[in-house]
Amino acid sequence: MKTYYMPNRYPIQFLGGIFSKMLNDAFAIEVNNLTKIYDKVSVVNDLTINIKKGEIFGFLGPNGAGKTTTIKSILGLIYKDSGTIKINGKDISTDEKKIKEKIGYLPERVAFYDNLTALQNLYFYAEMKNIPKGQCVKLLIDMGLKEHAHKKVGKFSHGMRQRLGMARAMIGNPSLLILDEPTGGLDPHGVKLIREKMKELNKKGATIFVSSHILSEIQAVADQVGIINKGKIVAQNSVNKLSDHLRIKPKLILELEKIPKEIINSLRSMKGIEKMDIKGNTLEIICNPEKRAKVIVAIEKAGINVINIKTKEPDLEEVFMRYTEGQ
Amino acid sequence: MKNNIFTVAKKEIMDNVRNKWILAVTILIIALTLLSSFAGSYWKSFEGTVSGMMATVTFFISIIGLMLGYGSIVGEVERGSMSSLITHPITRLEILLGKLIGNGIVLTFSILIGFGIGGIIVGFNVDDVNVLSFIVFIAASILIGLIFLSLSMLFSSLFKRRSMSMGLSIITWIFSLIIYPLIIGSILFATNADQFQEASRQNINSFIIPDWFYAADMANPTSAYSNLVSINVLDIDIYPSFVNNGSLLLILFLWLAIPLIFSYILFRKRDI
Repeated sequence: MKTYYMPNRYPIQFLGGIFSKMLNDAFAIEVNNLTKIYDKVSVVNDLTINIKKGEIFGFLGPNGAGKTTTIKSILGLIYKDSGTIKINGKDISTDEKKIKEKIGYLPERVAFYDNLTALQNLYFYAEMKNIPKGQCVKLLIDMGLKEHAHKKVGKFSHGMRQRLGMARAMIGNPSLLILDEPTGGLDPHGVKLIREKMKELNKKGATIFVSSHILSEIQAVADQVGIINKGKIVAQNSVNKLSDHLRIKPKLILELEKIPKEIINSLRSMKGIEKMDIKGNTLEIICNPEKRAKVIVAIEKAGINVINIKTKEPDLEEVFMRYTEGQ
Repeated sequence: MKNNIFTVAKKEIMDNVRNKWILAVTILIIALTLLSSFAGSYWKSFEGTVSGMMATVTFFISIIGLMLGYGSIVGEVERGSMSSLITHPITRLEILLGKLIGNGIVLTFSILIGFGIGGIIVGFNVDDVNVLSFIVFIAASILIGLIFLSLSMLFSSLFKRRSMSMGLSIITWIFSLIIYPLIIGSILFATNADQFQEASRQNINSFIIPDWFYAADMANPTSAYSNLVSINVLDIDIYPSFVNNGSLLLILFLWLAIPLIFSYILFRKRDI
């Protein structure tokens, strides 16, 4: 004899459960209408950003745009004037300690207890997160600070502090890393190391929120990008889409002996050239990198000598200008 | 959930044991207690020795308390380490309590070393040592040290700059030890000029001190401390009835608790 347990409802409930769980779990950070006022000036103004779990989110903006203020509000370091902030679906004030257990933070200005050694510092933070001390040694080795483990942090250089800061942020394998200008003032080797760590941790499932004022920095690591200017989000998109939309491509700058009209016309008719400016004897061309050679060949064929060739990465100012132009 | 008060307390101790200024003042306390215990041995008097040591306490233990506390919050904020500390699994109340306990232990330790060494010498040289009284004396000295620690922690939570917190700590010290006693003393002399002139003409040492003076005096924590020691350790009995152990301990307790409460209120809402 068969027993009948309403088989139709069960899968629906089950799916519904998963669906609501997905909704709840979808975002690592949700910031809605955040406003922070310092001395009657709003540093962050009605800002909304959502960061999905598992992504590397680049938070891009010039110095003084409100990046650090937003980050500090998310972490509960400063008090917002209005708006809501949720981490993993929860308000940080509801279960402060539990939420903080899973966060790693690298502040813009990395500081430690200068009287204590690198290892003593890490032990202190590990003890607070209830993490065995063994991980601290491993993290020091990972960040290339093995030889300096027993040196007082007061004697550390800026680059060493930054690396130690990254080690501190990684204690306890946090599911959310918030890194405020992590490569600021670092040597190329250190930059590479920190970028690798970001990608490695992200592969293991960590959500990474990284701020920078350098466009190429964000392009190098992030999947998603939010651009902040004067306390407001001006764009939020995937890095690829934003690059397309903003035509964020390096500029080809050619210094020619002369620029006759014919060559301009023939270049204009070439496919793949998006923008061309003429400044005296200099041509500034935005095109796909693979078109560069064709452009130069075309110019040489016309019998014009190329005096100098340069490429220029677009800077943030340009990105803002293009973005507002596009609107 | 794990409590991180003691993790912070331990860190404060490790950090401050390396603080050369604290070490210097502790050595100064040891030297001065040795001096007063040698002098006391010369007098062979327990009370004389404790009176000498009490002057050391009011001067230098208050300084240690202020030195440990004035930078405890604002120092970490200025240096930048506070932002990392707060993002770890700890509440601001726990940070404040951890710092209070850690610095309190450093303070207690330097008092115990200073007075322990002094106490041994007193024990060797003075006949009428009252051990219980000496313990009461040490406990009261720790209490006054903690009061100045709590006051300086309030300044540390209040100010945006370490130098401001240090400035107000110094002013507090001068005010409590010099200016306030000077003010109430001057008022006492001004309002009782006839009585003092008469007493000095007749060359007598006793005059009637009005109750308001005792009340104003005991409101000052350093005076409340010395009154407490005078009553319990030195057996001095010149006080009106409202100056008693209960009222003095209440005043000292309020001086300890109220700054801490305000310190928490300020620190809780502080932007780091």
